[in-house]
Amino acid sequence: MMEDRGGSPELFVFLASTVHDMKNSLSVLGGTLENLLGKTPQANQDASYPQLAHMLYQTRRLSDNLMQLLALYKEVGKPTYPFEPVTVPLGELVHQVASQSRVLLDAKEIRLDLDFSHELLWTLDEDLVIGVLCHAINNAVRYTRDRIRLSIAEHDGMLEFRVEDNGMGFPPSMLEAGAVVGQGVNFLTNSSGLGLFFASEVAKMHKRRQRGGSIRLENGGPLGGGCFVLTLP
Amino acid sequence: MTSTYITASGAPVPEISGVEWSEKRYLIVDDFVGIRQLLRESLRNIGARHIDQASSGGEAMTLLGRTHYDVVLCDFNLGEGKNGQQVLEEARVRNLMVPSSVWLMVSAEKSVESVMGAAEHQPDAYIIKPITEGVLLTRLNRVWHKKQVFQQIDAAYIDKDYLRAARLCDEQIERHKVHEIDLMRMKAALLLKAGEPEKARVVYERLLEEREYNWARTGLGKIRLANGDHEAARQMFQGVIAENRFYIDAYDQLAASLELLGRHEDACGVLEKAAKLSPNSVPRQRSLGNAALRIGNVQLAEHAFRKCLAIGEYSIRRTVDAYLGMARVCGMKNDTKEALRLLAIAQRDFPGEVVQLRSKVTEGLVYHESGDYRRARKSGDQLEAMLEAEPKRPHTATCIEMATLLFAVGVKDAPVELLCHVVRNNHDNAVLLDEVQKIFDKARMSEEGVDLIAAARKEASEMMNQGALLWKTGRLGDAVAWMRASRERLPDNMRILFNSAQMLINLMQQQGYSEELMIEANGVLMHVDALAPGQQRFAQLVEQLQELVPRRRDAVDSANSANSADSAAETPAAAGE
Repeated sequence: MMEDRGGSPELFVFLASTVHDMKNSLSVLGGTLENLLGKTPQANQDASYPQLAHMLYQTRRLSDNLMQLLALYKEVGKPTYPFEPVTVPLGELVHQVASQSRVLLDAKEIRLDLDFSHELLWTLDEDLVIGVLCHAINNAVRYTRDRIRLSIAEHDGMLEFRVEDNGMGFPPSMLEAGAVVGQGVNFLTNSSGLGLFFASEVAKMHKRRQRGGSIRLENGGPLGGGCFVLTLP
Repeated sequence: MTSTYITASGAPVPEISGVEWSEKRYLIVDDFVGIRQLLRESLRNIGARHIDQASSGGEAMTLLGRTHYDVVLCDFNLGEGKNGQQVLEEARVRNLMVPSSVWLMVSAEKSVESVMGAAEHQPDAYIIKPITEGVLLTRLNRVWHKKQVFQQIDAAYIDKDYLRAARLCDEQIERHKVHEIDLMRMKAALLLKAGEPEKARVVYERLLEEREYNWARTGLGKIRLANGDHEAARQMFQGVIAENRFYIDAYDQLAASLELLGRHEDACGVLEKAAKLSPNSVPRQRSLGNAALRIGNVQLAEHAFRKCLAIGEYSIRRTVDAYLGMARVCGMKNDTKEALRLLAIAQRDFPGEVVQLRSKVTEGLVYHESGDYRRARKSGDQLEAMLEAEPKRPHTATCIEMATLLFAVGVKDAPVELLCHVVRNNHDNAVLLDEVQKIFDKARMSEEGVDLIAAARKEASEMMNQGALLWKTGRLGDAVAWMRASRERLPDNMRILFNSAQMLINLMQQQGYSEELMIEANGVLMHVDALAPGQQRFAQLVEQLQELVPRRRDAVDSANSANSADSAAETPAAAGE
């Protein structure tokens, strides 16, 4: 992998091992925060509780960004990236996503509504899709008032994931950015840019019978706020 | 049916799995203490009580040697020393894991290096950090479920009853749609092993209609290769590598197709690339060494055989080929002394007649190539004496190698005898017969060679025809006895072996099961499989043979009990009590 890159291979090895180290530290940080938040039932009385929750939110953001940067550095969608579609029952997928977000949502007193067909199976790269959905939920935490909804349904042979919130909705500039992601336009102008770009790359990697995946942003829906939509073939 | 969950915690309860994870023994391997604590916490939360930890590959090996673990959570990057994949390989090679144990490979990122281990030593699942309890439990349950689904298929596979295993795949596909792709992949591999490439092709093509799976495309290439369509196969493997240049299996296959196309230089180049991507495979380094020797690249051969010796040293994958190959390299570099030292090690560490013979051939070649024709002749004479003393002959390739050397050093009778033996045992293999004729030509025995080959072929076909005649005229017992004698004379003749096994089976079908005949037929078939795996007739005969085993019928009736899979795992000969 190194021989194809410009620059010094030693530097690449050094950077890669540093990133591993950082990911380890962030994992420990996130895990410890989760334990602290999860183990205090009367925590609401504790003044530091909301601050701990916010720390967890920020840790998640860092961890997600790092994962996305690493994956993009390895060029998601290129031969150097191991794309592995497996067949997953949606119940298992949702369980994994929800359990990753559980402590943060509890701490912020946000309710997660889930709406999906338990019997449905889909073939997808599990880690990538979980990563995109968790990132979308983490993002929605920032904008929602108190509810987030994850719904999954099959339409016309495509699987549609929707992460909705009951906040103010996306500003027009974001909706535009979401619409042009992946069309060669530079959208990396705001904090959500990397996440959207990553999600779009993940969506496009999924191919089945000449159809590919896509993402888009919308406003409205059952909760009336912003909505991130991931569609997979 | 759509179910809506609205829960404060947001997490639906996972499916009931039927596994008591709290009773299992766990090993966590990670060089980062914080991560170990975090993982231990997660395991405790799912009820685990027996948890050990290791901070390095070496420490993990010690613990794995001492305790049987049900679940191993192993980080891929372990700092200095072995990585997680190497720990897994060693644990598998040293049999420290039982089939029911679960190995989860953990890594910080999804890189090709961390999720594409050696094809033969895949972990049961890969997990990307950070690991949460929900992900951990889901993946553990899934792996467990999959092991249940594959249990009987694996048992039939161990029995080499590939056709039954393929049918079991079909049954399981009906019941477990979640594992449909893995089951179809397994089914295609089984059909290939059973010598049913056309049926395997249909499975692969159906899978490829849905999605581009590298292994399905490679599978199609293997079928083309087996059909003799070497160029089409080459293009398919090349295509897979263009899509995923880390898919090692495609490299090995590409090299094989290039060799069949006579492009030895290119084949060697491909193996060199594959060895660079995945250097710790003994078989691959051995192939590279042999390929390099063939094209006369001594330096590359030396590098490959040295690596082969280094990685094989403490493993059961250690191979005598590396010592013999390295001895050839030393001979070519005029270091006869080192070559002889390596041959001495080979004979000491790999007992068995064939190694003695092969070492003697190599010794002769070393002397011959270094220009010491007197000593080469002496090796030839010694080899001739060894062949006289031991009537049993090694495999075809070794016989041809020996004959070539013996002719080169001026010995005459022994190589003629060896080549006639080769012809008798491969009397309908036109390519091989051509090769034998060329060796006769080179030894200035062209005309004699033509006659010798014709006589040897005639002898083989007469033996077979006589057996077939007895069989057709209803004298099955005599036919079986005749074929038994023919096998003595022609131990490696595939057609005689197959017919012999078929007659033994027919005899049992007529007269009832006999343990003695079962053991004999099983032995013949296992010998065939060792000579040339992947024969259609082999799979069909194994299936017929398995149906004769009395306990097999009971096992099929109680297919749902877990114990039946255990009994099916025994060899057919052993199961016939």
